[in-house]
Amino acid sequence: MAADNLPPLSLDAAPLFSMRGISKAFGNFMALSGVDLDLNAGEIHCLLGENGAGKSTLCNLIFGVHAPSDGKMNYLGAPHDPGGPRDALDGGIAMVHQHFSLSPDLSALDNLLLGSTLKRLNRKSAQARIEALADSYGLKLDLTQRVGDLAVGERQRVEIVKALVRRPRLLILDEPTAVLLPEEISALLKTCRKVADEGCGVVMVTHKLAEIRSAADRVTVIRTGKVVAKSDAPAKEMDLLVSAMIGREDLPDAARQRLRKGGRRGPDVMQADGLSYRDAMGALRLDKASFTVTAGEVVGIAGVEGNGQTELGNILGGVLRPTEGRWFAGDYDLTHAPARNATSHGVGIVPEDRHGVAIAEGMSVTDNILNNRVAAYTRFGLLDRKRMKADAAELMSRFDVRASGPDIPIAGLSGGNQQKAVLARELTTPGLKFLLAAQPTRGLDIGAVNSVYDMIRQACDDGVGVLLISSELDEVLAASDRILVIYRGRIVAQRNANETSREEIGALMAGQAA
Amino acid sequence: MTKRNLTQIPGAIQILSVLAAFFVGLLLILATGASLSQSVTAFVQGAFGTGYSISVSINRAVIFALVGLGFIIAARAGLTNVGGEGQIAIGGMAATAVALYGGAEGLLWPFSFLYPMVAACIAGAVWAGIAGFLKVRAGTNEVISTLLLSFIAIWLVYWSVQSPVLLRQPMTSAATLPESLSIPVTTQIPLLTGSYASPVTAGAIVALILAIFTWVLLGRSIFGFRLRMVGENPTAALRAGVSVDRDMVLALAIAGAFGGLAGAMMIQGEQYALKAGFSSNYGFDGLVVGLLARGRVSGVILGALLFGFLRSGGIMMEMAASVPTALVQIVQGLIVIFVAGAAYWLEGKRR
Repeated sequence: MAADNLPPLSLDAAPLFSMRGISKAFGNFMALSGVDLDLNAGEIHCLLGENGAGKSTLCNLIFGVHAPSDGKMNYLGAPHDPGGPRDALDGGIAMVHQHFSLSPDLSALDNLLLGSTLKRLNRKSAQARIEALADSYGLKLDLTQRVGDLAVGERQRVEIVKALVRRPRLLILDEPTAVLLPEEISALLKTCRKVADEGCGVVMVTHKLAEIRSAADRVTVIRTGKVVAKSDAPAKEMDLLVSAMIGREDLPDAARQRLRKGGRRGPDVMQADGLSYRDAMGALRLDKASFTVTAGEVVGIAGVEGNGQTELGNILGGVLRPTEGRWFAGDYDLTHAPARNATSHGVGIVPEDRHGVAIAEGMSVTDNILNNRVAAYTRFGLLDRKRMKADAAELMSRFDVRASGPDIPIAGLSGGNQQKAVLARELTTPGLKFLLAAQPTRGLDIGAVNSVYDMIRQACDDGVGVLLISSELDEVLAASDRILVIYRGRIVAQRNANETSREEIGALMAGQAA
Repeated sequence: MTKRNLTQIPGAIQILSVLAAFFVGLLLILATGASLSQSVTAFVQGAFGTGYSISVSINRAVIFALVGLGFIIAARAGLTNVGGEGQIAIGGMAATAVALYGGAEGLLWPFSFLYPMVAACIAGAVWAGIAGFLKVRAGTNEVISTLLLSFIAIWLVYWSVQSPVLLRQPMTSAATLPESLSIPVTTQIPLLTGSYASPVTAGAIVALILAIFTWVLLGRSIFGFRLRMVGENPTAALRAGVSVDRDMVLALAIAGAFGGLAGAMMIQGEQYALKAGFSSNYGFDGLVVGLLARGRVSGVILGALLFGFLRSGGIMMEMAASVPTALVQIVQGLIVIFVAGAAYWLEGKRR
């Protein structure tokens, strides 16, 4: 890893843009703390990190969407303190957002002219000028089309042209490849190179390693709001970058130990048969995933985020319907069944989106723990609150949910205790045969991580089949009997956990063919 | 410290808001040039002065309470029913139609007056159910649909009392008013005292029973639990096995039934004939009562009584002291703004 504390050799080598000690707090949450960053003219600088690491926040600080809580920024040799995106744009900083800001009812050309500073509007000459510009960067565009009729990749090209029309000195691209097809990605990277070659600084946010290998001049890795690694030769230091991004250095020893011995096999409790999902934009997010989970085993899904595992989890969790394929719990087809059928067929779900799907924050711990079985708590047609509270208190102590009482709103609990409450509910689903645990340790502290895996292991020993989806590779390695690697929506490899290595799985996750 | 203490006493914000609004009301009376003592005397006389005025105030409060109870039931499922006025209109029409032409008169008492009330409930439930159906099928915002359905319902009343083939009384001369025939005596809701000197109707008892019903439904029943899950987090509710769509429609339908019943009570307990515009914004005031109650049945009852007495006092104030009755609406509006403002001040900052 390169040191960046060397003084600039000459004035020319001074960075185009720099950050020193930048922090950003949202309430009590520190999105970024103490970030140092240098961006040079003429280079592609990739920001690498998992979801929620703080990459987008960092871009938004540069672009003036947010103001930093602490620290200094420098741009073109002067302090950079934009009052808003307008200031940044005027200063020659352009940003292509993850979510497009185009008006779907206008043509591509009108979108580009929208908000332009032209005094008099001459469509013809403007169109010619923009087409020439787009051509020079190898961007194919039909400017007369309605944006709403364009495919995702084309819309993004409109966004990029919109940024380039301003002849920026610094171009920020926030996860530009998330929605693109492979051939579109390579075209985009070529465009970026061209832009950089003309002396512009390009910042690209990504969590895809293949793009870094082929395009990045320099890489900064961000994890939980801090810079954890930098590289000036990313193609040669991929392994270091991978471990910096996905490694959980603070993983407790108990969780590092091999949790599963493997070998014990029971009947199939869950079967996925060709599950595919195409999103509203037409991109294939999940591509014919087929696998089985047997009783008493943990099957881990390893993959860098954004490779289809979220969609897989949402399909099994009943939040998303697959566009193709089916899945079964035992013999029962749950593909299009309502969630209560999953529960009644012994399926427990720990969803990735805890706040959106697993709990109702305004309701009490008791209500959340028992919410899928309240019918069992009636007396004379009314809820037996006393018995509910007693049972919830019992579950809370069994699953170590720490709260001042079963009646307080679950929103008042820490993330770890909320997650334990979710596990208390799902693991006590009557007749539990299959458990989906999607990112079950996200945002949890070490103690809670340990408890979560203890619970999963216990369930497994009791004969439950578990599908574990996690972006924490070390956890997947430690907890699973079998590991399926997902890459670009496909399950590309399957390994027995005791016959593989961290390096092998890491390479597969990065898209290196098996 | 004081802020937190305020939020912990239930109703403290509401009571303070009411007092503040009353204070502003007094200033406005002074501003109109009317005599303060005369106005206040008239107000008290109109609201509490006689057995008659108290009875009328309570009858008004019953209407507000029914609409307010319906509002908090729908609100429990995260739905805002602003269609009380239309549900009253539909209920009033249904009750009138059944009382006059639906064979209610021939039934054994008390079924003769209960039957039109049940019909009004069903009509109100169907009317609000339309909004629920649109919500779950097409994603139509229920605030918009219930409000617009109200306008339709209000004008349906106009039409029905203008058209002799509908509910208009037989035209005997050019001076025949555009209203329905008077409903038969047996279909009228009986007075509790039996005397028109203090005309509290049996509707007050019905409202009390429904208040207890609502309290049990929301607090102790599985259905109430499901509504709460739907309101708090529909996705989590779905995950927990709740039929979110069905329960949303049901919640709105129940709210509509309460509104329809309120309409029946206005016709069968007070006015005895259907007239255009027979509900002068009772549905909207009831909505405000529901809003102020913040989900509590006790809040609905207190708010309904407050608004009932306010309205009676305001009318008398206009008659006796020439203070425009619009003042009451200003005070009501101020109460809402103060409560909402306090909620923002106390809770908004914590986010």
